[in-house]
Amino acid sequence: MPRYKLVNGEQIQLTAEEEAARDAEEAAWANGAFDRAMADLRQRRDGLLKATDYLALSDNTLSANMTTYRQNLRDITNGLTTVEDVNAVTWPTKP
Amino acid sequence: MALIKLSNNGVKNVTSLSGLTSSVGDLVFISKQTASSSASISFTSGIDSTYKEYVFYYVSMHPQTDGSHFQVNFRDGGSLYDATKTSSYFRAQQKEDGTDAKVGYDSDFHLAQSTNFQTLVGYLSADNDHACSGYIHLFNPSSTTFVKHYLSVTSNTNINDYNKVTRSAGYCNTTTAIDGVQFKMSSGNIDSGDILLYGVN
Repeated sequence: MPRYKLVNGEQIQLTAEEEAARDAEEAAWANGAFDRAMADLRQRRDGLLKATDYLALSDNTLSANMTTYRQNLRDITNGLTTVEDVNAVTWPTKP
Repeated sequence: MALIKLSNNGVKNVTSLSGLTSSVGDLVFISKQTASSSASISFTSGIDSTYKEYVFYYVSMHPQTDGSHFQVNFRDGGSLYDATKTSSYFRAQQKEDGTDAKVGYDSDFHLAQSTNFQTLVGYLSADNDHACSGYIHLFNPSSTTFVKHYLSVTSNTNINDYNKVTRSAGYCNTTTAIDGVQFKMSSGNIDSGDILLYGVN
């Protein structure tokens, strides 16, 4: 199916060269799907860890529940090999 | 000079007015484009030395592909949108369930002397009711003395039901005039959305 670009309000069909370049971009995008999903997962995981970092300061003793929660967050990337795996991750519940 | 009494009928039929000026600082509308399954949206006219600052407002940009990034690039002569850019990118975010509010710097989306497209906002949701909106300023595009700075702010609905407000800022590291600006998604078409170009008087 041909692609169209909009230039100053005019719909113009992509040239063969533009189609090839866009196909290459789409292929690269598809190949990077797992890396993007993992990056998004790590970003969220890191945020959740940071939210409880203050509990792990040297003048505080972590509860067992909190220790388990934080370890589960650290381990959340283990065994993930596909985008479907990443999307199916179950997040641990904060105690 | 004779006075002319204007009526509603008279005014609505006017096709041009001479002698009217806008005040310094006013936004002057230049053009608008509406995406319809468009691979890209390019502005190649109206960006010149008339104004020292241009603003593109993008409204309800909806991607075809879930998780794609909305991006921009600049043309500095020739036909390619490949100006060399250096930029930074950061965001504030909140999830709909209130569990992940934070501010962060995204090194995935900054550029260092790169001709790649600048991401204005990443990981868009393609749900029917989701989209992103925002604006980007382009300063002094016709300067042959200075590099060309740009500054964007975008609010979006993210694939994982976040609101993310993203800011990118950078410069086209060239003293060649910027004469074209192109918007696209990193994957798939721009399903729908309006982009309006204004000059700042």
